[in-house]
Parts: sequence; C-alpha cells; structure tokens
Amino acid sequence: MAAIPNTALLPRKRESLLLGWASGPRNRDSRSRGNDAVNKSTHRLRAAPSIVVMLGPALLLLGIFVVIPMLLTIWLSFQNWSSETGFDTAHFVGLSNFQEIFGRASVGRDFKNALVNTALYTGGSVVLLLPLSVLFGLLVYQDRVRGGVILRTILFSTYMVPMIAVALVFSKLYAPADGPLNEILGAFGLPGSAWLSSPDTALGSVVLLNVWQQVGYFTVLAVAGLTQIPGSVYEAAAIDGAHAIQRFFGITLPLLRRTLLFSAVIAVINAVQVFEPVALITQGGPVGATNVLTYHIRRVGIERSEGGLGSAMAVTLMLALIVMIVALFALARRGGDEA
Amino acid sequence: MTARTISFYGPFRRKPALGDWLVLTAIIVVAVMAAFPLVWMVLASLETPAETMRTPPVWFPATPNLNAYGQVAGVIDAGRSFINSAIVATVTTAGILLTSLLAGFAFAKYEFRGRSWLFAAVIATMFLPPIITLIPLYRLVGYLHIDGNLAGVIVPNLANAFGIFLMRQFIRGVPNELIDAARIDGASELRVVFSVVAPSVVPAIAALALFAFVYHWNSYLWPLTVLEGNTSQYPIVISLSRLLSYNRGAMNTGLVMAGATMAVLPPVILFVILQRFFVDSIVNTGVKG
Repeated sequence: MAAIPNTALLPRKRESLLLGWASGPRNRDSRSRGNDAVNKSTHRLRAAPSIVVMLGPALLLLGIFVVIPMLLTIWLSFQNWSSETGFDTAHFVGLSNFQEIFGRASVGRDFKNALVNTALYTGGSVVLLLPLSVLFGLLVYQDRVRGGVILRTILFSTYMVPMIAVALVFSKLYAPADGPLNEILGAFGLPGSAWLSSPDTALGSVVLLNVWQQVGYFTVLAVAGLTQIPGSVYEAAAIDGAHAIQRFFGITLPLLRRTLLFSAVIAVINAVQVFEPVALITQGGPVGATNVLTYHIRRVGIERSEGGLGSAMAVTLMLALIVMIVALFALARRGGDEA
Repeated sequence: MTARTISFYGPFRRKPALGDWLVLTAIIVVAVMAAFPLVWMVLASLETPAETMRTPPVWFPATPNLNAYGQVAGVIDAGRSFINSAIVATVTTAGILLTSLLAGFAFAKYEFRGRSWLFAAVIATMFLPPIITLIPLYRLVGYLHIDGNLAGVIVPNLANAFGIFLMRQFIRGVPNELIDAARIDGASELRVVFSVVAPSVVPAIAALALFAFVYHWNSYLWPLTVLEGNTSQYPIVISLSRLLSYNRGAMNTGLVMAGATMAVLPPVILFVILQRFFVDSIVNTGVKG
C-alpha cells in the first residue's frame, strides 16, 4: 500500500508525472485525446466485461487492505476495543477516547508529547531536506564539472539502504564520548555531542539520520524539476545582466515551486512514518524525547492492545496531516500569486 | 597551442575558473559525507573485536577479515532470513506489477463512468501513512488466517496505488493505433496488455519493479507486526534487529556491521544495475541547457 511516498519517482518523458499530477490536466496526452472520439465506440464495446478483469484485482485488494482498514480505524476511534479480540467485542464510547488522549492523565501526556515530537521531527526534516535537495540538485545538474552523475548515484544509493541498517550504523557512529562522529568533530576542533543519549539532542540526531538517508531522493526530484526549466530563460536573464545569485532567486527558485511543494508533501508523509531508529535504538527515550507517533500508536494500539485509544490517535494524526497538506498547497498557491 | 586539441582538464569540461574549483570541492565534500556511514559500516565489519573497541577509533582494519560475517550466522538464521526476504520482495513485486499494469491500462485507455472519481480515490490511498491502518489491518489478517506467516506479510501489499498511477501515466503515452491494430487482429484485451502495452512501457516496469522490490525488502513495520515473534518467518531486516542485544558496547560492533552490510547489499546492487532505467531517464531526457 504505502509503498508510494518512498517510491515516488518521475517519468522519463517531458510529461512530468508527479509534477504533472500536482498541476492538473495540463499534461494531457494530445495524441490519445485526438483519438478519443474515434475510439470511444470500440472502447465502450470492449470495456464492459474486461474492465472487471482489469480493475478487479487492484480495487479488491486496495478495498480490503486499505479502504476498509481506514474506515475501521475511524469507527474504532469511537469504540472501547482490545485489539486482542474480534471487532464484535467493540462497544461505542463516543468521544471518550479523544478526551482521554488529550486529557491530563499519563495517556494524554504521552500522546501530546508524541504529537509534539512528531511535529518537531517533521518540521526539522522538511526544513533541512528541501534546501539541501536544491543545493545538491544544482551540483548534480550543473555541467561545468564532471562528477554530477557519480554524486547522484552515491546520494540516491543511501535511499536504497534499509532503515534498519541505517539505524544500526548510526547507533555506532553516534556513540557519545569518543564515538566516530565525535572524533571527526574533534579533529576539526568542534565540540562533540551526546547525540542519542541526551534528551536535548536525541530527536535532532534522529532527524539528521533521516536527512542523511532521504536527501538523495529529494535531490533526484529537484534535478527533475531543474531539467524542466528552459535554458532560454537563463539566456534571457544573462543578456539582461543578471548574475548567478539573481538568476537563482529570480528564476530557479520560483520555477521550482511546484517541485518543492511536491517534495514538501512527500517529506511530511515520510517523516511521520519514522519508526525503525526509535524502535531499535531509543525506544522513545531518553525520557520520551524521541517518542514519535508511529512508534507510540503501535505501542498503545498493538503492544498494549488498546485498539480504541490507538485508533483515536491514528485518526488525530490523519486529521493533522490533512490540515498540514492543505496548508502547504495554500502556501504554494499564495506564493504563486505573488511571483 | 597544439595541446588545445587534446587538452584535458581532468574533472573540468574547460579551463577551470575559480567557480569550477568551488563546485568540484562541493561535489567531493557532499559525496564523502553521503558515502561515509556506508564506508564505515563495511570497514568496521572487517575489523577484529579488539580493533572496534579501541579509542580513538581504528578507521582501517590492519588485517581485514570476514570473521564477523561467520558470527552473524551463529546469532541469527541468516540463510533462512534471506530466503524469507527474497520470497516477500519477489512475490510482492510480481503482484504489484500485475495489478498495476492491468489497472493502469484500464485507467489510461478505457472510458467509463466515474473513472476520474475512482482514480482520485486510488491516488488518495497513496498518501496514507501505514500507521493509520495498522491496528485494524493487524486484526483483519487474523480473520483471514494469514497472520504469523509470510502470506500475511505479502497479501495486503499486492496492489499499490503508486504502481497504478505510474503505469497509467506511461500507458497513456502508448498510441491507440497500436492497441487497435492488435484488437483488429483478434487479440483479447489481456493479450493486448501483455503483448502490446507491456513491451512499450518496459522502462516504467523496470523502475516500478526496482522500487517495489527495494521497498518490500526493506520493509520493517508491517512484517514485525504481522509475524508476532514467529522468528522462522523473519525477513533479514527484522532478524537484524535481534543483533541489537549484541549491540551494547563496542565489543560486537563488527558483528552488527557485518549483518547490516549483508542486508544492504541486495537492494543497493539491484539499484546500481537498474538505475539507468529510471534516474538516467528522469534526468537526461529532459531539456538540458
């Protein structure tokens, strides 16, 4: 199901699939549109029985394993239900799950802490990933110096590494006292960090680990966006005497807006999924500093079997995501009007 | 001046200016930082326990050896785990390719009422983080009696909105004349998909296959949840987490890094082999300059 955000990619043709999707029907394939009128009749005739064969498997699977569970999550958020038992044991409790997860007792405190941690983690990831992806994208895209393709391969290969291996490696690199990273910082005369072992730095350390793993993917998105900017725009700017920095802020960045919007949406959705480093290394600690929602919801809803509470948390996360994504689109649209 | 014709500027495409040196430096710095954790992982896996415990850290093993790789097999059933991972990733990928190709064809080439509405609904599921559906899904596979085994890991993932989306985008570019010619020759709709449409979108199929395989090889949350401690069914990434108990202190760093290296190799090798199918085509077929 959710293979997507992690696996989104761009098309090989000038028709940009993901960016095209974000921009609506602008990229309609003119050839197929031209033939629609001619072929409509034959398509209709053939379609009736074969449409079931074509769409049946995919829609059935998505229905059973994505749509129904999503509706069940919403339904369960209003029920008292142990996930150890069948759905028939659930009984309606109104909004009390939501009252509890936002309440003053420990359930509420832990959830609100996880919500804040997730927001910080998401914000930190997006704020680092987007600028770095543009910077690295420019390094890959430029053609003054060789090595762009090699850089892209190295950057993107980190994205292929299982998160669990990333977590294992960073758990060693982040060793406090004289771990490898602190040794390197020391060699440059910089102070070391407690990394994952201090509540002040643990969440930031997980953000860095995430950025290291994902930046290659967003770099490829940025490069795809850069290739869509016509060279003639730069030539015109050069004739007008715009220097490199003016060209970047005047042309490159505004024309990358759609790419950056898409990157931001995917970065947010990826960020709320962080699980392995927390489950493996920190278990949400120290003192709850890395307790993020995917980890917390699974712990409450499955390990502690409190399916109703866990579902209420999942619904809250879903609502927060919808608000966030709508806000991102609104922001991008406003920026577009100004430009 | 004769040197002009055979001039070679190393990494530069012309006589380097200051800016070119800065760009080159930046590329090298970024590449080193990106590669460092993985290089360190491999180097540490080749060190002796005494070396991994030394402070300051030993960066390069004096006598590289593979002992740690042998030790991994003593802690986890690495062979069994690799087979489990291969089954999960291969079967899931095959399922995703099949369902995506068929549904992508229908969304691209059939006219039917509610098409755009249905397509939008499929796309919406793309943006759903797995944790939202995890709790009921965990119970649902219990009802289907596929919990605790590989079928439970595989079956819920056999269709995928991203795959449908990708296939639909590419199949839209396949000329209708090609499809109609096959129909006039009497080909069934399924035959049209497999012998006309699929060969026309091979790069997209390769890209989807790579992404699906890597994603499901690396997948952690769902297998961990559905397998519920049934260690004989664990894929390699979950077995690896059992090395964690050996992960306290520097003593077993080599062992942990050997396990991590083993899990990293299949997806990264696959990526290096198949990357021309997508990254190159994404970047290089665009308007450049």
